[in-house]
Amino acid sequence: MSRVPQRYVVFGFSTTHDALDAEAALGSAGVRAVPVPAPAALSAKCGIALRLPPDEERRARSVLAAAGIAPSARIEIDDV
Amino acid sequence: MTGPHARRAPRGRTIYLDNAATSWPKPPGVADALCSAVSEFGANPGRGAYRLALETGRAVHAARHAVASFLGVADAKDLVFQPSCTYALNLVLFGSIAPGQRVVTTSMEHNAVARPLAMLKDRGVEVVVVRADSAGVLDPEDVERAVSAAPTRAVVCQHASNVTGAVQPVADIVDIAHAHGALAIIDGAQAAGHLAVDLTALGADAWACSGHKGLLGPAGIGVLHLAPGFEPTELVAGGTGSGASEEPLQPRERPDRYEAGTLNTPGILGLAAGVGWLAEHGEEQRAREARLTRMLVEGLAALPGVRVLGPGADEPRVPIVPIVHASIPADRLAYELDARYSIAVRAGLHCAPWAHRTLGTLETGAVRFSVGHATTEQDVADALDALAVLIGELA
Repeated sequence: MSRVPQRYVVFGFSTTHDALDAEAALGSAGVRAVPVPAPAALSAKCGIALRLPPDEERRARSVLAAAGIAPSARIEIDDV
Repeated sequence: MTGPHARRAPRGRTIYLDNAATSWPKPPGVADALCSAVSEFGANPGRGAYRLALETGRAVHAARHAVASFLGVADAKDLVFQPSCTYALNLVLFGSIAPGQRVVTTSMEHNAVARPLAMLKDRGVEVVVVRADSAGVLDPEDVERAVSAAPTRAVVCQHASNVTGAVQPVADIVDIAHAHGALAIIDGAQAAGHLAVDLTALGADAWACSGHKGLLGPAGIGVLHLAPGFEPTELVAGGTGSGASEEPLQPRERPDRYEAGTLNTPGILGLAAGVGWLAEHGEEQRAREARLTRMLVEGLAALPGVRVLGPGADEPRVPIVPIVHASIPADRLAYELDARYSIAVRAGLHCAPWAHRTLGTLETGAVRFSVGHATTEQDVADALDALAVLIGELA
C-alpha cells in the first residue's frame, strides 16, 4: 500500500540567522514549521529551510512580516 | 615573607588585579557553558539541518541575540563574532580606509589601533593624532579642530583607556565625526561590561570589544557591531554555511559576510554566559567596581613616592588605576608584589606606547591595577598594605 504524498511549502532564507529567527518567530506564534535541509530546487542561500503545511502559509507570512523577516525563496514539494 | 601583610595575602591565593588584560576568575556558568559547548553542542552551527547542528545553531543564535541585547544593538544581525577585538578593529580599519584618505585618531590608542594605522600610513593614508591631556582624556574640541581641517574618512577612538581607565567623550566624538561626514570607529575593549553601553544610542559606525575582558567570557572571542549601511570589505572570505555555496564571492548578508569559517561555538556560548551574569548583576557590579577603584586611587595616592596616573577619583573611569613610583621601577614593584604576595598586576607599556608617551611614562612604564567582579575590598586593602611594605623596603 503506497503512502499518500503530503504537500508542503518550503521557505528558504539568505542566512542561518534569518532561518533561525524565522523558526523562533513561527514557533512563538504556534505555526507548525519544521527545519529541513534546503532542497536543491529551492535555490536558497542558506542550507536550512523551513517546511510547513500549505494551509499555514498565509499565517506564516504574516508572522514573518511582523518580525521583519522575508523568506528569500519558496517552493512546494511532495513528501512521499 | 615577613610582616602582617604576608598573612593577609598568603601564597596560594592569588590576588588578581589584572582584569584589564583579561578577567579572571570567570563568573559561575562560564566554565559550564564551555563544557556543554564541547560535550553537548558538538556539531557545526549553520552547517547542516540535522538536529544536533540545529541545536548548536540555535544556541549560537540565542547567544548573538543575548549579546546584542546587552549592548543595545537593535538588530542582532549587525553584531558579528570575531576572534578578538583586535581582529574586529583590523577588519574595520583595513576594510574601510583606502590610500589617499585621512584618518583622525588619538594619542591614547592601543596597538590594536595604532599598528593597523601605522600599516595604513605606509600605504598612503594620512594619520592625524589628537593628543589627550596629561590624564589621558580627550578634549572634543581638539578632535573637532583636527577633523574639520581637511576631508576625513574616519575618526578612530577608544571608548576607555586601557592604561589610565579614562572614559573618553565618545558620544561627542561620534557626533563630530558624523557632522563632518566621517566614519566613527570606536574601540570598546575596556568599556564593555564596565560601562552601561547602548550602541544604538551611541550611533558609531563600528564598535568593537573583547569577549574575555569586561564581558567575562573566554579568550578567543570578540564582538563587532556595524551600523546598518556601513559595509567595510571583509578581511577573510570562505565558507559561511549560507550565501549559495556555488557563488564565488563572499555573501553580502550579515552576519555571514564577516564570519567566514567555522564559528567558535565554545567561545560564543561562554561569552553569552558571561553576559548573562552581567545582565543580572551588572549594575551592582559597576557600583562595586567604582568603590574599589576609588579605594585604589585614594590608597595608592597616599603612599610615599607614588603618582597615580589618569583621571581623579571623581572623574569618569573604568576600574583601571596605573601608578609610577619616584624611585622604584615599575617592573620591580610588579615582580615583588607577585613573588612575595601573589598579587598579580601588570607592569610595562600595556601594548599602548602612544598612551604612555602622552602620559610621560614611555621610558618607565607603569604598574597597572585593575579590579574585576571577584575582587574584594580585602584584596584591595591587602594590595595597598603590600605595596606600602615594598615601598618602605625598596625606596
